[in-house]
Amino acid sequence: MNLASLLSRERINLELKSTKKEEVLRDLVYMIKSKTDAELIYNTLLKREELGSTGIGKGIAIPHCRSLAVSKLEIAVGRTLKPINFNAIDKKPVSLFFLIIAPPQDPGNQYLITLGKIVQICRELSKGNLINKPQTPDEFIALINEIEKKLTKKR
Amino acid sequence: MKKEIDIMRLLKRLFDLDNLIADKEADKKIGFKIDEEVGLLSLKRERANLLKEIPKEYADTYERVKKRYTLALAEVKNGFCFGCFQQLPTEMLVRSNEIVTCPNCGRILFWREE
Ligand SMILES: [Zn+2]
Repeated sequence: MNLASLLSRERINLELKSTKKEEVLRDLVYMIKSKTDAELIYNTLLKREELGSTGIGKGIAIPHCRSLAVSKLEIAVGRTLKPINFNAIDKKPVSLFFLIIAPPQDPGNQYLITLGKIVQICRELSKGNLINKPQTPDEFIALINEIEKKLTKKR
Repeated sequence: MKKEIDIMRLLKRLFDLDNLIADKEADKKIGFKIDEEVGLLSLKRERANLLKEIPKEYADTYERVKKRYTLALAEVKNGFCFGCFQQLPTEMLVRSNEIVTCPNCGRILFWREE
């Protein structure tokens, strides 16, 4: 399973205007769900952040959780116009966000595998200084595809 | 008295929260930093608060089923309980706002929103 295939253009917003952690999380969740489902996920994500920031450093965060509100793995990507404070492990502000929500039960543990893969890809993004490179959702997906291919070859 | 729809909302939050706590070791393995003290404590406090808000009979049911199966809530889909994969009696298939449990496994049943 490749990550690029889980991404969709409609769920990538590279021009988020939010300036606060809570706003960004809400923006991301509402790309996937609405109303009570979205609020449940949002609540769970806030709790997940209390357990430790999902800001992995170098300007990237990967907010994630399981939620009863989804029936399959759902991903959304956001990039804020200006980096925002996300209590990241390196204390640096964050501008790129990968949201990943999984159902409580997922056969084959696709959730954790995908999460691990996103972490790896994000490290490549920051290593290559590529966070701000893609200008459109299509370019973003193409870039992820490229990195993913490179990582698979290495193995 | 709390409406059942609101109680169900609280049960869902409790369920998501329990899954967060259950996932913390896996998160650490992937490389996320987990705050085992303040963070975990805060989640446990939230858990205790949610339990207090939920009427005792439902809170007890949740805890009892959780002890037995880990996942205390199960989805109703195509007439089946997706916890034990048994067909539910026809009279239970009308979606309602009432809180019902699976007559076979006892899990608290929920219907997906959309
Ligand atoms: Zn059942």
